[in-house]
Order: sequence, then structure tokens, then C-alpha cells
Amino acid sequence: MIIFRDVSYTYPGATRPALRHVDFHLPEATFALVVGRSGAGKSTLLRCVNGLVPHFSGGTFAGRLAVAGLDPLSATPRVMSRYVGFVFQNPEAQFVLDRVEDEIAFALENAAMPRQEMRVRVEEVLDLLDLAALRERKLETLSGGERQRVAIAAALAFRPRVLVLDEPTSQLDPQSAEDVLNALVRLNHDLGLTILLAEHRLERVLQYADHVIALPDTADGARGVLCGATREVLPQLELLPPLVALARQLNWQPLPLTTKEGLHFSRALAERIPLAPPPTAAPRHGEARLALRRVWVHYDQQPVLRDISLEVQRGEILVLMGRNGSGKTTLLKTLVGLVRPTSGQVWVDGREVTGEDVATICRRVGYLPQEADMLLFADTVRQELEITLRNHGLLERDATIEPLLAQLGLSAHAGRYPRDLSVGERQRVALGAITVTQPVALLLDEPTRGLDYAAKEALSALLRSWRDAGMAILVVTHDVEFAARTADRVALISQGELIAEGAPAEVMGASPLFAPQMARLFPGRGWLTVEDSLRGLGVTDRP
Amino acid sequence: MIHPLAWLIWLAAELAVLSATRNPFYLAIAIACAAVVLLCLRRRTVDAPPMPLSPLRFGLVVLPLAALFNALTVHIGRTVLLRLPATLPLLGGPITLEALTFGALNGLALTGIYAAFVVLNGAVAVRALVGLIPRAFFPVAVVTSIALTFVPVTLRHWQQIREAQAIRGHRIRGLRDWLPLFLPLLVGGLEHAFQLAEAMTARGFAGAQETAGARRARTLIAGGLLALLFGWLLWLGWRQRTLGITLMVLGGSAVVASLWWLGRQRPRTTYRPTRWYPRDSAVALASGIAAAVFLVAWPGLDRSSIFFYPYPALAAPGFNGWIALALGGLLAPALLTAPTQRAWLFRRTPGEDEVLKRDATVQERSKVGSMPSHALSVAVRQPDVECPPVPTGEPQ
Repeated sequence: MIIFRDVSYTYPGATRPALRHVDFHLPEATFALVVGRSGAGKSTLLRCVNGLVPHFSGGTFAGRLAVAGLDPLSATPRVMSRYVGFVFQNPEAQFVLDRVEDEIAFALENAAMPRQEMRVRVEEVLDLLDLAALRERKLETLSGGERQRVAIAAALAFRPRVLVLDEPTSQLDPQSAEDVLNALVRLNHDLGLTILLAEHRLERVLQYADHVIALPDTADGARGVLCGATREVLPQLELLPPLVALARQLNWQPLPLTTKEGLHFSRALAERIPLAPPPTAAPRHGEARLALRRVWVHYDQQPVLRDISLEVQRGEILVLMGRNGSGKTTLLKTLVGLVRPTSGQVWVDGREVTGEDVATICRRVGYLPQEADMLLFADTVRQELEITLRNHGLLERDATIEPLLAQLGLSAHAGRYPRDLSVGERQRVALGAITVTQPVALLLDEPTRGLDYAAKEALSALLRSWRDAGMAILVVTHDVEFAARTADRVALISQGELIAEGAPAEVMGASPLFAPQMARLFPGRGWLTVEDSLRGLGVTDRP
Repeated sequence: MIHPLAWLIWLAAELAVLSATRNPFYLAIAIACAAVVLLCLRRRTVDAPPMPLSPLRFGLVVLPLAALFNALTVHIGRTVLLRLPATLPLLGGPITLEALTFGALNGLALTGIYAAFVVLNGAVAVRALVGLIPRAFFPVAVVTSIALTFVPVTLRHWQQIREAQAIRGHRIRGLRDWLPLFLPLLVGGLEHAFQLAEAMTARGFAGAQETAGARRARTLIAGGLLALLFGWLLWLGWRQRTLGITLMVLGGSAVVASLWWLGRQRPRTTYRPTRWYPRDSAVALASGIAAAVFLVAWPGLDRSSIFFYPYPALAAPGFNGWIALALGGLLAPALLTAPTQRAWLFRRTPGEDEVLKRDATVQERSKVGSMPSHALSVAVRQPDVECPPVPTGEPQ
């Protein structure tokens, strides 16, 4: 169905190729996963399939391509759109109209399809993606998962033979991501649709893929592209989800892809180890750097936060988790004064700040919002940091800026335009811009969105080093594996109320929705990471 | 659903009334009509999106501001409330009750205009509105629809940027301080536009190459418009009635024929065409009458109360029952909705909303269920083997 023959591609003006000698063949009705580090060329490879590369992007292309019997190079993206449906990372950026049904019919209307035929096609995709009940809804009223399903439905309106998706779940909570992935599996199994999907969070999708295409790091030209059945390719990958990483350490064969498969091996191993109660959080009596005391927040008379009392101590990382719309972001905004509580008190560093000006609070508290790019506007990375200091009336001293740039791994990029950097680097610039005031506390909202495993590990290490230096850190995230590696304490929020709080092993181990893979594999043990599991099993970590 | 053209006529009538009079009674009636229509719309829409700014809040801000601004800058009127020192530039002089009243009435009219646009935004889908644009202007229609979809996204970005800069300690003190707000908005907008262009290309949308025929048709439109203008000038300026009318008819025909031809060159179908029903005629007629009373003189109708003016001395505004009755025509969209959509007029019992939502879902599912599911699956399993011919544009 998809054939790449020695494909190389370089973007206009780029010095290094984005794709180098890519060569693979995907049979029909495959569910293929494209993996690789940030910047490895995943999006570029996907865009070759429907001819967006090189027709839309320009650049230098070499090699041969065949998709559904056509050559995307000689056929235009317009022709390829009948055979290849494409779904982008951000559904909002691809919508032309404002209602579900209209959006799905848009491309068909442009192709002058007879009305009767159009009605049938719209009905079938509404049915396939379980969107019939939402057909009249405005897109802005839908949840993230529903919007992404509308984008998939719009891509399927031409009845394509291949569906290409570029990180479609990166902005979704676990439940919405599950809904989208289930829809894709249904399309693949029931209709034989060939699916090509790029994704960073392998633990979410690996179980559904029957093929994996692994792109090498562009700096590493030595290794070629790996393509093959999932279990054949996995052992050769560097970045792996925790389950596969553990299985590789323990030589489990065949490599398990799901918790169910992993349980066959883990049960036998764990039976030999006596069950010990999971560690509980010792009561902390430190200095509370951040505190909410009996806080209520209302939007349009509806309570969003209900009687919340929460503290983050000096030298502690607290991770807050919960479904979309449970009030997590509102809680962070309340702490920095962007949202005024209806009642209750907000304390920072031993002083009540309820009702104080945002800029004044943010002198002591750094806050990294979900859309970190919104912070960046200066010409250079260094200027971003200087501007924050200037805003707060602080001295722009090299002694403050240089060590921070070094700590963030940005010294080499100090003179570069921030928006030209990779997702992980941009996020670190934004972190620098909010922490250059040397705050006592740091709040992060979904900091792992769009990051690969390596970038996430680097972020986790950075946060732990700041924690060790005495900073109080509150992280809001859906990423349970990141939470398992980083948190000292975990709190769960639902419908504006705190429903659980305690040691990560205690809270996450017991939650079906927020349990990391290791907690599912060894229930009741309190092991959350691969390292915990290896230690618990008495196995030395092998490189 | 009321036809988008009928909604546009309703909007035009509201705007005509709100612009034509400063009589507080008539302004209040026109605003009340818009408010009732808005409430009706929001009650019948399941999961209506929140309004960026409710007309009530808009009015509470704009009305006092307009009153204050007019009172401070217009120093006409006999009822002097206080005097500011004449040395104050622009503001110095008498502050009069008349100026204060006129400013407040302007604020009231602005609130009404805002409410009318909020109604239109909630009532008419972007696609329906864009569908009114002639097919010859298809690219304009697409650009318009994208622009309208961009507005809520841009507003949300603006809010995010304001918050993001506030947490970096940003405060607005001068003109330069707007840069951190506008630059990310501009860059974000450009990135969004680029992503959208890419997505539209992936969905088979491509700009058509202009053919020689299309160029000729556009030249003919320009010529036709010129002929219309010259014909009109000949008729009115030089009293050449026959020649003028002939030129106007020829020019008009050339414009219409060219638009029709251009439209035919862009084969495009409509998924759900909007039909014109008798209730749409009723809405258009009722709105038209309301506007006509304010715009045209009618024999036997005393229209003096429309032209209320608080200067030079404030007097009680007049009131004419017939005019007020005609204004009631602006309520037509609220009264002429389908029976199930009028359920809001009656007090609902607890849980009735849930029943209505459930019924709506069942109806939608039954429509899909009536199609043989295996036929759907088979249809999708056997994709088009041959590429359908590309209708226009891009050479292959």
C-alpha cells in the first residue's frame, strides 16, 4: 500500500536532510506506528505520503514513492486527498467551518459531489466515529477528543485507503486519547483501512500497532530506518515504554505489548517476593511555600473549585492529576491570582496574597502555562530572560542569567530566535523566562505535551534538582509515567474537589485511570517505575 | 430553522430602527425584542457556547461611558448640572442634563446593535451565511468563512497571551508595552494560517488557475458596472432618460450574465441547502414593516415621536402605539420557531431538558439506523479505485 524507495528530502534553506535514504514497504490494512526522537523527521515522512512534501513545502526530494498505486510526486496533494486522509496534531488548526456536519461535508462540497452521495458519506463517517449525536454541535463546544474525532471524520469523507495521523493524541487526556485510538482500531479492523500514526507516548499506542517504522536521530546518519512487525523492531529501539523496557531487561520473550501479556511473566516473578505494603507518605511538617485554604472558585455561578485546601512544602514536588475540566488549571491560576477565589485564602511563602496583583505574586511564583509559546516574543533566548527581570524591576545581571541558561542547557542557544528551537528547547526557554526571578515556588501546567522520552527525562531531572535546592513545585499533568518518575506526593482532583492525596505509590497504585504500567503489572507492590520494579525484584539494572 | 436571508433582513431592520431613533421608548422596545429572541435561541440550543460578552454586561459598561463622554465633551443644553473650569481643554464648560441624556441614549442604541449581532452569531451558522455569497465569488466565501472561524480562536489566543505576559510581570504603561501582546498574537495567527493552508491542501482544496474566459468575464463585470454608473449619470445629470436607462440595463445584464457564467465554471454542490418557508416570509415581512415605519413617511401616521432630540431643553419623549406595535414585528423570529423549539415559553418540569436531549439523540440515531449498516461498511471497504476527475483548477 505504501512504498518508500531510497527517499531523501531536504527542506528549503536547510543544511541537513530531514529524511535520509528512507526505504520501507507497508502492506495493505496495516496499523503502523512511526517513532523517533523530536526532530527525527516523523512529520516530514507522513507528509510525503499525500504529497504535501514536496508540493506544499518545496525543498529537494530524491527517491521514489508509491501510495495506493499512485505516485504522490506526479499526482498533486489534491488528487492524493481522495486516497489519503490526513489528520494533524491540533484539530483546531484544520477546521474551516464551525459545525460538525458542515466541517465533514466541506471537502465533498468543494469536489462537487452529488448531494445524495454526499449525504450517504457524511452519515457513514458520523456513524463510524460515533459522532451522530454531535452533528449539529458547534466545534468550539466539543471536548478535545470529540474535536479530534471530527477531524478524523472529515479526513475519511473521501473514503480514503490510507489514514495518516500526526500525533493525534498529544493534546488529549488519557480517556479522550483512548476514545480516539479505539476509533482508529475499529477503522483498521472493520474496514481494513491502512493507518500510519506518529506518536511520542508509545505506552498509549504500541499495543494497537502491528508495524513500527523507527526513524533514526538525524544526527545519527549511520543507522537506517527500521521497519517491520512491532515485536521484531522493538528490541532495537532506544526509546521504549516502561513495560517493554522492563521486559527487555528481564529477557521476556515474546516481548509483551499489553499489560495483559506482561502479567503472564510478572505474576510468576512477583509470587516469589513477599508482598509488602506500599510506602505511605509520612506527614510533612516543613515550610509551606504554597497554600490554598478553603478555596472556592465559581465561573458563571457554577463552582469550579470546591473547598480546596492544599499545601506544597519547601523542597517538594506535588503532582496534581484529574480528568479534563476537573479544575486543575483553575487551581494553578488561582495560586498566581489570574483567577480570584470566591472565598478562601491563597498563601505564598508564609504571606497571604489573596486578591493581589498577578505580577506581584509571580515575582515569587513561577507559572508555566500549557501554551508555553505564548510567553515567547523576544529576538533572542537571552532577551526573554532579561525582559522578565526588567518587567519586575530587577537588575539584568549576567550572574543571574548565565547559570540559569547553563542549567537549562540553553547556553549554546542564547543568541538564537526562540521560536526557531525545538518543542523541548522552547519549553525550557519559557521555563527560564519565568524562573529567572528565582521564585520560591514553581507551577507547571501539562509540561510534557509534545515531548519525547528523552526530553521528558531531562525535564524530570531538572525539576528534581530544583526541588533539591529547596523549590516547592506543583505539576499538573495527565502523563502518569512522568508523574510516577517525578512526584514526591500526588493529589487527585475531580469536579473541583480533592479526592485523594498521598504518596505516589499509595494514590497512583490504587487508581485504575492513573496507574502507570508498572503499577498495573505488579499490583499492590507500590512499584511505579522500571527502576522500582527491578529493585523490588532484586535485579540489577543492565544497560 | 429560519432562513439565513430572513435573519439578515431581521438584523437590517433592527439596525435601521436603532440608528433612526433616539426615542428611549422605541429603543427599549427594539432592544427588548432582540433580548427575547436571544433568550429563545439560547434556551433551545443544547450546549450553547458561552457568549464572549453578554449584551447586558456590554450595556452596563457602554451606557455610562457614552453618557459621561458626551456630557464632558458636548456643552450644549439648557439644564446645567455643573460647570467645569473653562481652562480645561475640551472638558471645560457647562455639563448639561441634555448632553448626559443624549450620550446615554447613544449607549442604549449601541447596546441594541451589539445584541442584534450576538443574536445573528448564535442563529446562523457560518456555512449558511457564506452560502448567501454568489458562487462566482467562491474564493471570497471561503476566505470569509475562515475569517469568521478565526475570530473565536484569536480571542482565545489573546486571552492566553495576556495571562502569559502578566505572569512574567508585564504591565501596560506605554505604547511599547503592547508589543509583548501583539507579537505572539501575530506570530500565532501566521502559524495558524499556515497550518490551515496545509490542512486545506491535504483535503483537496486548491486555488483554481484563472482561465482566459474568467479574465474576460471579470473585465465584463467591470465594464458593466461602469455602464451602470454612466447610465445613471446620463439619466440624472444630462436628462438623457432613454439612453441612460438603456445603458443601465445593458450594464446590469452584463454584470449578472458574467456572475452567472463564472458561477457555472465552479462546480460545487451544497450539502444541506437552506429552503425558504412561509415562516421566513413572515419574519422578513414583519421585520420589513418595523423598519419601514422608521424609514419612510406613511400617510395618516404621526411619526414625530421617532425624531426625539433632547437638545436644546429636555422634554418627555412622545409615544405612538402604532409605531410600538410595528416594532413588535422584530419579535417574529422568537414567535415563528418550530413548536418543539418554543418549549422554552412554558415552564419546564425538572428533568425535561434531559428528556428533550435524549429524544434528539434517539431521532439522530434512528436516521442513521435506517440505513443498512452492511451497505455502509461495504461502501467504505471498497474505496474509489479510479480518481474522480478534478473539477477545476490545477493542471494535472
